Amino acid sequence: MTSPTCRLRLSTSPHLHAGAAVPQWMLHSVIALLPVTLFAVAVFGLAALATITVAILACLLAERACAAPSALDDGSAMLTGLLLGLSLPPALPLWMVAVGGFVAVAIGKHLFGGLGGPVFHPALVGRVILQAAFPTAMAQAWVTPLAPGRVSELPATSLAQPFMSPTAPYDGLSGATPLTATKAGEAGAPTADLWLGIVAGSVGETSAVLLLLGGVYLAIRRMIDWRIPVALLGTVAALSALLHGLDAERHPEVWTALGSGGLMLGAWFFATDPGISPTTRRGAWIYGLAIGALVVVMRQFSGHVEGVMYALLLGSALTPHIDRWTRPRPLPKGVER
Amino acid sequence: MFRHRTSFSGGIKLAMPDRIAADAVVRQMPFAPLLRLPLRQHAGAAAVAVVRAGEEVLRGQLLARAEDETAVPLHAPATGRVVRIGEQSDGAGGTVGVIELAPLPGDTQEQARERTFDADRLDADELLAAIREAGIIGLGGERGPTHQRLQRARKRGVAVLVINGIEGEPGFTRVPALLARHGSDVISGARFLGKVLGSQDAVLAVEKPDANSASAMLADSENHDRPVLAVLRPRYPQGAAELLVRTLARRPVEGIPAFNAEKAMVFSLATVAEIGRLLSHGLTMTDQLITLAGDGLRDTGNYRVPLGTPVGFALAQAGAHSELDRVLDGGPMRGHALGHLDRPITKGATGFVAMVANEQASLPEPMACIRCGECVAACPLQLHPAELGLLARRGEIQAMVEDWHLERCFECGCCAYVCPSHIPLVQMFRAAKKQSRRAKALAAGEEPA
Repeated sequence: MTSPTCRLRLSTSPHLHAGAAVPQWMLHSVIALLPVTLFAVAVFGLAALATITVAILACLLAERACAAPSALDDGSAMLTGLLLGLSLPPALPLWMVAVGGFVAVAIGKHLFGGLGGPVFHPALVGRVILQAAFPTAMAQAWVTPLAPGRVSELPATSLAQPFMSPTAPYDGLSGATPLTATKAGEAGAPTADLWLGIVAGSVGETSAVLLLLGGVYLAIRRMIDWRIPVALLGTVAALSALLHGLDAERHPEVWTALGSGGLMLGAWFFATDPGISPTTRRGAWIYGLAIGALVVVMRQFSGHVEGVMYALLLGSALTPHIDRWTRPRPLPKGVER
Repeated sequence: MFRHRTSFSGGIKLAMPDRIAADAVVRQMPFAPLLRLPLRQHAGAAAVAVVRAGEEVLRGQLLARAEDETAVPLHAPATGRVVRIGEQSDGAGGTVGVIELAPLPGDTQEQARERTFDADRLDADELLAAIREAGIIGLGGERGPTHQRLQRARKRGVAVLVINGIEGEPGFTRVPALLARHGSDVISGARFLGKVLGSQDAVLAVEKPDANSASAMLADSENHDRPVLAVLRPRYPQGAAELLVRTLARRPVEGIPAFNAEKAMVFSLATVAEIGRLLSHGLTMTDQLITLAGDGLRDTGNYRVPLGTPVGFALAQAGAHSELDRVLDGGPMRGHALGHLDRPITKGATGFVAMVANEQASLPEPMACIRCGECVAACPLQLHPAELGLLARRGEIQAMVEDWHLERCFECGCCAYVCPSHIPLVQMFRAAKKQSRRAKALAAGEEPA
């Protein structure tokens, strides 16, 4: 019997791999966002569909312009686009959406060194720049949920040209979002509608239930660290309960606080982005807690109606510090073997 | 009945193949036409040949004598003729002496008893000498001369003997084989070691899949001072001595008094069984129990292989696929890939994995680190592989060593195993360690190795 003849390949240990990969993680995130995306299109119609599509295309374009063509394969640009689209008001002029998408990837991602480099979530960078550049549009491009004709026609504002005022006033379709209403002292939406998502709001942040389901799916698949949303939502719940207990007039109750605004989207899909969250498990708790506290403080005590975006940005700014505080300590040198 | 505990954070759950009864089977490997025996098969000095080319030797007979405290003697693995005494590459840029032996076909291969003694009557010093004369080295991952470790341990004082019955790598099945076939050797080996060390307690640590065979083995023993059993939840790399001692010392399992980690000493189950087997019968080390595994073999399992058998011959006997892609010396997590198959199987071998080319075998190109922290959570020593990886990429070796404890890494592979970006972390750390040692040697004015 002779030895097997072969050209052996030299590789280094370990020769096994768990199998999880970055593109897979992106894919599962997209799957988790699918229900809420479809729901958004059903509720807000063509406006939502166009917003999401344009956001994704703009991100892909920027990725193609800034990185090697193969970088598109990892799916991260698509996910950024989807998240950005979901976080924008449905009737935002589409050229603004495109600017936001391009900026998100070109500046938010590639200026920081590409995949793995960003300090802030690229989609949030896109959104915050739109917020700064076009505050009026961002504050008013809301669409009434389940409006008649939503699937057959685009709101005029969506098609507005650059450097021109929208062809129709926002008021034609817009209504106050629940948080704006509460802040103004008016009655917000009923809690049930809030959780289901039959309210005005950003494309993909209205249905807390579907976002929760998607987030839990990711957590079960171990694609995200469950500690972050748990700490974040837990903190929001605890602080809201406290404030509501102190002054029920001015502060919403817990279920309203949890179900409104971009909280669920932010907690499950933005805050958990591996690149911007701490690397240690202990750090994840601190990070979630900090963002949760910031959300409540901003919502209740600042001029902003919606604090989630800024809370997330501040939270990720904390990440390097949290990483330093929670740096793992190597096991003490062991016994002589 | 058993508590399952681990007290190291991190590590990974590896998909272990189901343990079946066949795992306890040990097949005898026939003699290869030519056995090659390096004179140094462990860390330490080489042995010095005492035979000449052309001489006929008996199985078990002394071939090379240990002249140095760090050396162990080498015995003939087969009755046969010494064909050649020469040099071969040691794989690290140097050469090492080698004896080539052609077994005599048709011989009974009865092992010549070098010594006759009643091991149970030997005192500690005599046992220590007998262990050295039998040519025993560590058979777990540690491949140093066993007598040397024992001498150091005696100076230090050891209270607890820990027998490491944890399968080091996925796919390896030496533990069930040793428990089923060598139960009495394990018990007597533990007794001899206890005597040498003057230790009071012995603990046998196994993982859940081997719990039943371990307790059956202990129950069979008529001896009263048999080891206490500790059953642990399977988790890689629990078998690393450092982690195992922590686990056992920190959170005592039922029946074992808590002990001071400093006062424990770990021996692999294979070493303990070998000590029992050889000393009880006055034999010398002539063969090795190894696992042959991998999708490139038809007859995977445990084999008793004569020392000096070429890896290729052993794989062929186990029904190797004609087109192997990779052959690993050791398991899939820590083993290293062999460049050719003429290498002989030596004393420290634990097993080989033969793999055919398939999709799983080739990993995708590494991507950028996304700082997901999976590696941090997986590191059993609580190092920071992600940070180490970023520093390695920037060439900041000094920071890796001084600030991030690179030298503690024992290359278990957990970080690279979980990395979703497929970054070859272990490879980078290995290179960085080498570079750091070079730099240190240069700074000390030495010729870099």
